[in-house]
Parts: sequence; C-alpha cells; structure tokens
Amino acid sequence: MKIRSIAFVFFSLAAAALYAAESPAVGSAAPDFSVPDVNGETHSLSQYKGKYVVLEWFNPECPFVKKHYGSGNMQKLQGEYTGKGVVWLTVDSSAPGAEGNLSPEQAQKVMKDWKTKQTALLLDPDGKAGRTYNARNTPHMFVINPEGKVIYEGAIDSKATPNPNDISSSTNYVKVALDESMSGKPVSNANTRPYGCSIKYK
Amino acid sequence: MGAIKRLVGVIALPAALLCTANVALAQLYQGAQLVQADTIANVNAVVPGEPFLVGVRLKMAPGWHTYWRYPGDAGIPTEIKWQLPPGWHAGEIQWPIPLKLTEPGDIQIYGYQNEGLLIQQITPPKNIGGSTATLSAKVNWLVCEKICIPGEATVGLTLPIVSTNTAANADLFARFQKRLPRSPGANFSASWKKDANGLLLTISSPELSKSSSVEFFPSPKESLAVGHPRLETRNSDQFAFRVPLDASNRSIDSLPGLIVFGNSPNDPDGSAWDISAGPQIAANDNHSSLRELVRFLVFGFIGGFILNLMPCVLPVISLKIFGFVQQAGQSRTRIFRSGLAFVAGIFIWFIGLALVLVALKSAGREITWAFQFTNAYFVLVMSAVVLIFALNLFGVFEISVPQWLSRGAIASGSAHGDIGSFFQGVFATILATPCTAPFLGTALGFAFTQSATIILLMFAAIAAGMSAPYLLLTAQPAWLKFLPKPGMWMERVKQLMGFLLIATLLFLLSVLGAQRGVSALIWASAFLLVVSIACWIKGAFLVPSATFRARVIAFVVMVALVLGGAAYFIGEKFQSVSMVAAANALGNGWEKFTPDRLASEIQQGHPVFIDFTAEWCITCKFNESTVLETDTVRGAFSERQIVKLKADWTNGDPTITKMLKQFGRPGVPLYVLYPGGSAQPYVFPELLTKNIILEKLETINHTIAYQP
Repeated sequence: MKIRSIAFVFFSLAAAALYAAESPAVGSAAPDFSVPDVNGETHSLSQYKGKYVVLEWFNPECPFVKKHYGSGNMQKLQGEYTGKGVVWLTVDSSAPGAEGNLSPEQAQKVMKDWKTKQTALLLDPDGKAGRTYNARNTPHMFVINPEGKVIYEGAIDSKATPNPNDISSSTNYVKVALDESMSGKPVSNANTRPYGCSIKYK
Repeated sequence: MGAIKRLVGVIALPAALLCTANVALAQLYQGAQLVQADTIANVNAVVPGEPFLVGVRLKMAPGWHTYWRYPGDAGIPTEIKWQLPPGWHAGEIQWPIPLKLTEPGDIQIYGYQNEGLLIQQITPPKNIGGSTATLSAKVNWLVCEKICIPGEATVGLTLPIVSTNTAANADLFARFQKRLPRSPGANFSASWKKDANGLLLTISSPELSKSSSVEFFPSPKESLAVGHPRLETRNSDQFAFRVPLDASNRSIDSLPGLIVFGNSPNDPDGSAWDISAGPQIAANDNHSSLRELVRFLVFGFIGGFILNLMPCVLPVISLKIFGFVQQAGQSRTRIFRSGLAFVAGIFIWFIGLALVLVALKSAGREITWAFQFTNAYFVLVMSAVVLIFALNLFGVFEISVPQWLSRGAIASGSAHGDIGSFFQGVFATILATPCTAPFLGTALGFAFTQSATIILLMFAAIAAGMSAPYLLLTAQPAWLKFLPKPGMWMERVKQLMGFLLIATLLFLLSVLGAQRGVSALIWASAFLLVVSIACWIKGAFLVPSATFRARVIAFVVMVALVLGGAAYFIGEKFQSVSMVAAANALGNGWEKFTPDRLASEIQQGHPVFIDFTAEWCITCKFNESTVLETDTVRGAFSERQIVKLKADWTNGDPTITKMLKQFGRPGVPLYVLYPGGSAQPYVFPELLTKNIILEKLETINHTIAYQP
C-alpha cells in the first residue's frame, strides 16, 4: 500500500506540474480600423488608446442577436461598462442587400427602438473592419485592453442557443474578461468559440 | 402525423424581436415551408430488450441548410432530446457526413441540405408493460440560407410491443447509413504535431491515393474555436493538414473529426473516416523546447527512481541490500566502487536497450516498453537466468569470473566484487522493465516520437533515477553502518533470497504458460531442469581443486547438456507448441477488445472501459485484484452499463500495440474510459484506486444520452 501511495503522490505532482506549465493566451495587438457610425462620424481604434474597447458584431435580424437584445441583456451590459469608461463599438458588417444591412436612418431607428447603450453603432457594409478582425458571427465579441491588445475573442456567453431563457444560467465571457482584466488579473478564458449567425459579407 | 401547427417567423424589424417560435412539425417562413420534421424507426414494432434505430428526419427547403455536430464558423448543431419511458435508453446521434459550405467572407460551415436523417439507437428494457410504446423527441435546429431562423418541433412515434418484428423503412435507413463515417481502415495511421501556429495532422492510407479530394472536418469540443483546416502537403497516400489554433488553446494536442474523401469536395458518393474514436494522442512537436525536454527528463529520473519500489524489482532490492550489508565491512573506497559498478550496470542496460530501440525504430518496427516480455523466448531466457541466480544463492555453485576477465580488470582484489555488482545492476534493471512505473510511460511515450539522441537521453535519465539511491548510499557509507554486521545469518538470508528468486521464476513461468500453454510450460521446465543439472556439475566438478582433465570433462558435459537440452526441449518441442489465444481469461463481464468492437460500441453511444493488460504485468494484476475486480467497482460498471473490454497484450498483439501507441503509451497497464458519444476518452493513471475509478464513473451518468 505504501508503494502505491508514494507512486500516486509522485504522479499527482507530475500531473500538476504539467498543467501549471500551460500559460494563458498572450494577446496580440488589435488591428486599427476607421469606420463611420450612424451619424457619419468616423471612429478608429487608435483614438481610444488608453481605454478598454469592446467590439460587438451585429445583425439586427439574426436570432442570436435578438436573443441578447430582446431580453435586454446586451443593453444592460453596454450600459454597465460604458458607465465604467469602456468604449463599446457595435459593428454591422452586413453587405448591401444582405440580411441585417442598415442605412444610417434604419440604424438610428434600431438604436432608438431597442434602447441600445453602446458608445457607437458602426456601419461597415464593405466588411473591411469585419474581415480585419476575422469576425465570423453575430454576435462575435472582442475585448481590447488600454494597451491595445486583444484580451478576449469569442462568444458572448457560454450557452450557444437562440433561447433567451438560457441567458440567466450562462456565463457571460465578456463580462468575466472585463472584470478580471480591470482588477489586474489575467483573463481566465481568453478564447471561446463564437456562436450565432454567419456575418453576411459582400 | 399529427396536425401541423403553424408558425410564422416574420423578421420585420422590430416587431419580430420578442416573437418566439411555436412548436411545429413544419417550419414556415413567409408562407413557404422551410423545414419539415418527423421521426421514423427501422422496425415496425418493438421487441423488449432488442435495440432498434430511430431517425429524426429534417426536410429542408432548397438552398437552406441545418448544421452538423460541429457547425463551423457559424450556426448551431441540431439538438434532439428524447422523452422515453423509464428504462429506455437512447444512443448518441449518428451524424451523416456533412457538406462543407463556404459563405462570403470565407465563412465555412458544416451542415446538411435537402434532407437529413439523424439516427440514434434506442434500447428498450427487457420487460415492458403495456401493448404500445410512445417515443417522442424535442428537436431544435437552426436553419440558414441568406438568413438564419431557429426552429423546433416535438416529433414522435408509437410502436406496438410484440415478440417478433420486421424491418421497416429499410431503403431510407440504408441510404443514410451509407453516408455515416466509418472507422479508418487497417492501414490508416494518423499523428498530430503542434507548433506555434496550431496543429498539424498527418495521415496516411493507401485507400486515399485514389481520391482526388481529401479533407479534414474538425469536430472540436464545445466552446473551442479552431481555424479552417487546410491541406498543406499531399504525397501519394500521405496528407498533411494544418489546423490553426489560437495561442490560448495551446493545451490542445489533437482534435476529433472526420477524414472526408471522394472524387470532389462534397461528393455525394464520397466516404469519411471518423478519427474521433481512436484518439491520436499527440506525438509532440519534434522541435520541442528545451524546457519540455528537461521536464520529461525529470519525469524519466523520477520514474527510474520509482522502478526501485515496483513489485517486480522487490526480490532484487533484497539482493542489493544484502550486497550492501556485505560491503559494510569493507573499506570506504571499495564500497563506493561497488556502488559505481552497480550503477554502471544499470546504465549499460538502459543505454543498450535504448540503442536497440533506436535501431528497431529506424527499422520501422512498433516499439513498446516491455516489448521483450511479449516474446516467449525472452521470458524463457529470463527464467533460466533467474534459476541460475537462485541456485547460486542456494550454494549449488559459485560464480567465478573467467580469469582473462579478472586479469583484465583492475589488478586489485576488488575486481571480482565490482563485476558482480555490475551484473547485479544489469539484472535488477532487466527485471524492472515490465513495471511501467507511473508517468514513466508519459516520458517514454514522448521519447519514442523523438530523435535517437533524445531517446538515449531519456533512458539515461531513467537509469540515473534508478541508480540514484544506491550511489547515494555507497557514497555515504556512514548510513550503511546502521546495517547489521556480517555473520552466519547472512548465509541464511542468502538462501532465503534464493526462494524469492524461485517465486520470481514461478511468475515468469506463469507468463510462459499464458503465452504458450501447459505443454510448452512442461518443455520449458525440462530445459530448466537440464540447466540446473549443469549448474550442479559446475559447483561439484568444475572447481579449482579438480584436475585439469576432470575440469575439461565437466565443462564439456555441461555445455553438451545445455546445448542439447536447448536444441531438443526448446528447438524441437517448445517451438512446435502453437500460441495460446485469449490468455487472460475473460469473464466477470469482460469482453475481448477489438478495434471494430470499440468502434461499434462508440457509434452506438455506449460508454466503454478498456483494460490494457498482460499476463506478465504485475502492476496490471495488482490493479485488477485490488480495484477493478472488487465488488464496488464491478457494481459501478454494471450499474452504468459500461461495456468492459479487455485488451490482452501478453503475446504482443500488434493491433493492441497500435492502440497503446495512439495513446502515447509504450506499454501496459493502460486504462481508458470512453464516456460515450463523441466525448474524448479519459486516460486513468497507471496505478488505480477505487476512488479514481468511482469518481470518474460519476460523470458518466450525465453523458448518457438524454434519459428521461
């Protein structure tokens, strides 16, 4: 029995050592972009250096986007973090004629009707910003820290369904990433599989 | 079919925002039918206890698609939740080969168009009350074209319960079963490597050389994001795919998925191999970092140290301790010299073994730890060696080193003892090899994928670990002084050790018996008898006091006996006895492991536990008697209906060797649990405890597919 316990302790130690050696993701520099918002005002990432920036890919007709706006979840998140000085940029990369493409007027109406609380809704119909970030889904979330490094990329939360009832029981990865980073901790879950509709690129 | 409820998914803004989908059999969109769902069985009635298949069929409007188990860059897999009567079980979904579709913006998705049938096996209990059974399933899907719309339906069917039934819907099932991925062919091999940009999958199979399109469809676990696999190189029947991975997923070594091949991409007559079932555990990156190398060398060292504690070295440990006692009366330098000689013996054996392995590896053979024990002749030679040592301890004869050897050695009187220590080192190490000490396996599994230099380094590290305590003890002889003074008791202890070696001999013979059967065992024992007579002749007549003539005669008789015995008993009799199959008795719910059996159980969604064992593996036997065959563990297995497969490696079965290699293990024991369905197999530590098993089994309940 003694041999077994000794061997087991060694094994556990070795296993622990193996795990400890896996380091968290090292963020790369977030690429810059310049995209006009619904009012024609241009926003570029570089102008927000020194602040946390959240990028949220958006398509108002996608059921997964509706899940988070219909339930008020997205607005709540936007309100909470813009209140803490975070720049929240919502990007619509739907091509003209494709689902979710919005004229500036339509976009303003969506913002008003849905009571959205982001810093700005950017219109990217040629998909330039979307392709730069290799955004594939709506919603597809990126969190960029004040040094301009991507610290989170992926899904908004842990339950990949279109059902709003799942929101309460899921982990919001964006919230976790922002909270952890703001309190000086490394982001525990820096990369997840985004879920939602494909972005309707040109 | 029941009444069709209507659903109108209006996507006008923003009115549809809070609109939820109705339960429906047909999903309608702007008046057009998008998806029609129903369920069918492959039998016309249910026979209690007999599994049958049901399929959930989704018929999609032209141009629209639903998703595979891994949807790709966007989308959601179709979800089926069965509502079954108590005692009924549903297996995992058997997903047909999906189409790979590309949307603007290089968005790749995997899914089905037109019609999809998701088959599951349903197992009814042996006793069913009532005359009919109603099975219903809640199905959720996402259907997309230019836009995406979620849909759901509750589908069901009622079947009579009878004592005999007939097949139904055979054409439909056959059509989709033809589209199911299969297990890779026998000549298939796959390996994973990892570098800074992600994973590199290299596969090869002669079957693929005819296909003009060969692709890898990944099927990563939920929430893991992977990049688009692309074919990097193709060399007749060898293909290399690169799968980009984000830096934060560096802990991933391999991915489950499909190898899809045919005459063109999305070939309706193409085929696929599921490489999820046989996990290809990573052959690590060949350009491994120094840190990783150092870590594995440390493992090797610790593993080597632990070899001293393993049951199969125990008799030898006693021998060694005895040796130290004897040395305690000698001078300090002599003790240290003996220690060094012992350590040299350990090193020489390991380095020699490493060189043999390197040679075999370059010759393309399957290399595994303790592979020598799968060879009956090796076991036979080992038996003879152990017997000779035992007879030596009993005092039947003294080991004398040939004069040319002792003369060649250092002129001092200690040369004799040094050579003895050297061979003791070799001997201890030979006996240690079948006990793959904990995580020594990991280190070796790593080493076998590496270059010759690293294999040599690895074995040197193991040798260093094994010899460390002896070197320490002989360098610090002060500690040896705590050992008792030599005396008559030493002779008694020596003889007692002889009996321990006889016990080891019994173990080796039991291995031989398991490999070759009773008659082979008898012939081998006859040979051992001849060997012991030769030893007696040596002890009685081949002594310095005898005349030269008598010594020559004794020597000739000895050699003639051994050679003649070997030629007749081994060359003639032993060799003619054929191999005995199924050496490890099955029973207690164990069934024989075959790759096909494993693949079919996994496809049916059953959880599977595999015990990789061998008759000569004491660690395996120990685990079996103290953990696997206890009532609690046995009960836990049967309660969760886990299929128990035994892979018996006693004779070095090459299909098992291949499996071991896939798990990065060079030898037995190995314990693997496939939790059911597409979940990744779990590898248990080499030394089991009841708790380790029971805790892991706890998680199984949750993975059995959707019980009510």
